[in-house]
Amino acid sequence: MSNLLQVEHLNKHYPGFTLKDISFSVKPGHIMGLIGKNGAGKSTTLKCILNMVRPESGTVTILGKDFYRYEKECKQDIGVVFGGIDFYPLKKLSAITSVTRQFYKDWDQERYKDYLRQFSLDESKQFRSLSNGMKVKYLLALALSHHASLYLLDEPTSGLDPVSRDEILHIFTRIVKNGKRSVLFSTHITSDLDRCADDITYIQNGTVLKSADKDTFLHSFEHLRTAEDRGPLSLEKIMLRTEGGDPDETAL
Amino acid sequence: MKLLYKELALAAHPTSIVFAVLGCLVIVPAYPYTVIFMFGCLAPYITFQYARETNDQWYTAILPVTKRESVRGKYMLIISIQLFQLLIAVPSVFLRKILEVENNPVGMDATLAWFGFGLMIYGVFDLVFFPAYYKNGYKAGKAFVIAAIPMLLLMVAAEGSVRIPQLTWLDSYAPADLMQQVPILLIGILCYGGFVTLAYIISVKRFEHVDL
Repeated sequence: MSNLLQVEHLNKHYPGFTLKDISFSVKPGHIMGLIGKNGAGKSTTLKCILNMVRPESGTVTILGKDFYRYEKECKQDIGVVFGGIDFYPLKKLSAITSVTRQFYKDWDQERYKDYLRQFSLDESKQFRSLSNGMKVKYLLALALSHHASLYLLDEPTSGLDPVSRDEILHIFTRIVKNGKRSVLFSTHITSDLDRCADDITYIQNGTVLKSADKDTFLHSFEHLRTAEDRGPLSLEKIMLRTEGGDPDETAL
Repeated sequence: MKLLYKELALAAHPTSIVFAVLGCLVIVPAYPYTVIFMFGCLAPYITFQYARETNDQWYTAILPVTKRESVRGKYMLIISIQLFQLLIAVPSVFLRKILEVENNPVGMDATLAWFGFGLMIYGVFDLVFFPAYYKNGYKAGKAFVIAAIPMLLLMVAAEGSVRIPQLTWLDSYAPADLMQQVPILLIGILCYGGFVTLAYIISVKRFEHVDL
């Protein structure tokens, strides 16, 4: 089966920041983590993929279709979650859902109700009254209820407690279990990826430093190992050393 | 219609819906009725401010709709508000007649010419406001200030016209005068249709280049 998502040569220039030649692909049944420090270009990449930010060049292919040409059709097959953004804070969840479901051909109300029960979400609550974790869970419930094949999630676990993060990561593994669906999620919490990612794409200063399956990815940073390191480097250590080294223990 | 449903259920500020029914103010015995059009112009301003506070554009962007449709949804909402306001003024004018309320002593009456002027004011306002807003997708205040200038000038011109002795027929319900006002209503309809269409084309073109 071909890649569910193929990103090729995306370029976007801002004053002071440039996204350069971003290319990677997501295979069916895989969870890909998009890592990089704050401001590296993770969210901009996701926004370019979704045409929220218009790239100057490059292509995005979702399930074999050119996204920019068939945006509407492609969006039927993807579920999107932006962590940390409050949508319609004064509206009840039931109101947001009743609008959202109108837009999806394959909306599955039974499945949606199941997720509400599973996440202990009360539809009569206003969006603003939910905790950060519950907001992400609600947006996930929406994204999971229209039989999408590809899930694009921007910092879904940021600001969540370990229990909520564990729950959400568990959901990701369940999504891809049948081998037909995929998840691409951006995060700067590398421990999340240690636990569930199959592939890693590392973005540094607007460019893809490395995009590969997790084992290949970890091996490709062997040169960062020091004599003190026992065992393979963790993603956190790889990021710290790539971005400028371990924190100075003598500081302060 | 689902775009309009989304706008009404999630994006529209409740006040802008209240503004839609203010066409019935023409039943008030003494009131400068042209001010009613200002409410119809405030509605898009409040709606876009509210949309910004509620991250409406972001939410719309993740739904299976294009940027063009996102713009179309907003147009459908604002056109509905403005036209509903004028439509609700029609039975209010008849009710005023039934109740034998005297002619408006403080300004223009809700004659056919008044409706025509209203459509012209809305058309010109929308033509300036929407493209100015969709240039960046968030500066609703600036867009309103720019569009409010021609809106106010047209309001003053409409109210002022009936003070000119040669144009008092604009403020009359006499059948002959109403017939004379029909072309103004038609020009208003043409202006509104043409200007809103042009505004939509420009807005879409601009918004497609806006980065959210």
